[in-house]
Amino acid sequence: MTGYELVRRPSRRSVATAGAAGSFAVAASVPGGPTPTLIALAGVVALLAGVWAGRHRIVDGGALIAFGGVVVAALSGAGAMPVVFGSVAAVVAWDSGTNAVTLSDQVGGGADTARVEMLHALFSAAVGVVGGGLAFVLFRFGPTRQPVTTLFVLLLAAAVLVVALNR
Amino acid sequence: MSDPDTADDATSETVDSTDTTVPDGGTDTTPPETSAADAATGGRSGSRERSTGVREPATVRSETDPTETEPAEEDGDVSGDTATGLTVRSVTTRRTNRWVGVAGLSFLTGGLGVATSTRPLLLAAVVGVTYLAYANVSSAPAPSLSVTRQVSDPMPEPGDEVTVTVTVTNTGDRSIPDMRVVEQVPDALSVVEGPARAATALRPGAAVTFSYTVMARRGEFDLDGLTVIVRNASGSEEREYDVGTAPTTLTCVPPVDATEAVPLQALTSPYTGRVATDTTGSGVEFASVREYQHGDPLSRLDWNRYARDGSLATMEFREERMATVVLLVDLRPAAYVQSGEDGPNAVERSIDATHRLFNSLLDTGDRVGIAAFSEADIWLPPGAGPTHRAEARHLLATHPALSATPPAERVYVRPALRLLVGRLPDDAQVVFCSPMVDTAAAYVARRLHVRGHPVTVVSPDPTRRDTVGRTLASVERSNRLSDLRASGLRVIDWADDESLYEALERARRRWSA
Repeated sequence: MTGYELVRRPSRRSVATAGAAGSFAVAASVPGGPTPTLIALAGVVALLAGVWAGRHRIVDGGALIAFGGVVVAALSGAGAMPVVFGSVAAVVAWDSGTNAVTLSDQVGGGADTARVEMLHALFSAAVGVVGGGLAFVLFRFGPTRQPVTTLFVLLLAAAVLVVALNR
Repeated sequence: MSDPDTADDATSETVDSTDTTVPDGGTDTTPPETSAADAATGGRSGSRERSTGVREPATVRSETDPTETEPAEEDGDVSGDTATGLTVRSVTTRRTNRWVGVAGLSFLTGGLGVATSTRPLLLAAVVGVTYLAYANVSSAPAPSLSVTRQVSDPMPEPGDEVTVTVTVTNTGDRSIPDMRVVEQVPDALSVVEGPARAATALRPGAAVTFSYTVMARRGEFDLDGLTVIVRNASGSEEREYDVGTAPTTLTCVPPVDATEAVPLQALTSPYTGRVATDTTGSGVEFASVREYQHGDPLSRLDWNRYARDGSLATMEFREERMATVVLLVDLRPAAYVQSGEDGPNAVERSIDATHRLFNSLLDTGDRVGIAAFSEADIWLPPGAGPTHRAEARHLLATHPALSATPPAERVYVRPALRLLVGRLPDDAQVVFCSPMVDTAAAYVARRLHVRGHPVTVVSPDPTRRDTVGRTLASVERSNRLSDLRASGLRVIDWADDESLYEALERARRRWSA
């Protein structure tokens, strides 16, 4: 049958959105030194390739590597600010990337999806900024005397509470 | 995203726009697991009607002037969180689980932060938990929508391009952060310009408009379905609605189209027509001369002979009689074959042939009927006259079993054949339109023939010879046709690149020779 073919691949704009977020993750890894920067860069490139090809797995893997870059930066002594916002940027890049892939699966790359994609990325970024701000406030004014393990357990408890409240 | 008022400017002729309001969950087709899923989420978003399954009477509202949509004031009290404007055929609520990896990763990061005493990592884990909360606090909204649909031409000719414009309006009082709409275009229509899909976010009262173009094909098509996928902002949960809208019908009836006179076999009715028989009497084609009998009409006396030797003789002509023809179409799933990717399949060609043969036979004064081997019972008894012609035209154009897509179920040949034989008038001959790609079709033709209904097979050739397997199938088919010819049937092998007229002419020359 000749006719309109559904393009099951995200548009260029989707790639650009994910790329913009990803570049923040790379920038945040710079204070950790060249190695984390390169890792983050490689991850972001893989992520963008995944979005362009419309493959979930590649997007996931790329985001994981990019986040790995941020983690390595943290281990190399980067400060709280870049690490927190680098993580946020990695999550936003991954979120908008996978969202674009799902969208292209469901409605195709030919449809006008700018509005819904932008909104999704904005929500995601806003949540990240709020979460990051919360983390930063905790870092500056929180209970510095507590052992780190206690904090971790508290974090787990918070997560379990969030999930349990919604079941 | 566009203003609802501007949507109508695109189409010259506004055809259909109806809103139906039915509370979600009040339809018979809603699967039972839906109510369970809704009950699970009912605490947050579902209304009481939904979780308990109480049915509400459907409110139907038809818009008299489709250029006016008043989304803001529609039915807000009835259904704050249900899909209005539509009948919901099924709802699936599912969690996409896309944030699960982020949750796991944030705990890993936190653990790593603890192990290495790196405070920033622990803070990164806080971010992860925030996202987890983001994914969990909201659920996919139950939307309240209305749908209007316009087609540029409700009665297109085959091959015309028809533009369909769909407007989906959020009539609820909550925003929909992420909505994806997929139009359910009937299988037989191909979208030539699209996509017949849209994705957007909708404020209350806002509307999204998208349009697509389909190539019209013979048949009657109802545009009455949409798949709507609604997600929450984080995309952690999505609801997929299969909604039925008020149908917009595209009716595509091919123009009256006949071919040249169809060569028929010698079985005829007692009425005067145009098939020359071996019976002698009055007619135009000379048959014989016999001795004069008292009462013979003067016009048939052989006056030349009388002048020569004074004896009286009567000329006999071949009588021309009317034939009763039943056009039989093969609509079994096996017949839905086509050569190559493009072009009509064998059934489409068969139906086209039936259409043309019907008209030309009717033009020549024969009585014609239509029957088919199909899921549904198709039987138009032989008849004549303009009403009969109109009936047949409508039947061939719009009967759902005569669509270009294969039926879902198997068609059993023997019972169908028994039914057909019971219905056929004794003097009926059969024109069987079938690609003859299996033995069952040949069996049918032979059975009818031995029962005294002479069969002419019009066989659109769907085969190709570009691979070994296809060549084999092609050879098998031509052997089958040869066998039929050997059994005394007439076979018209209608090649893919040839018109029906050419095929008939070729066959006629062979038969008269």
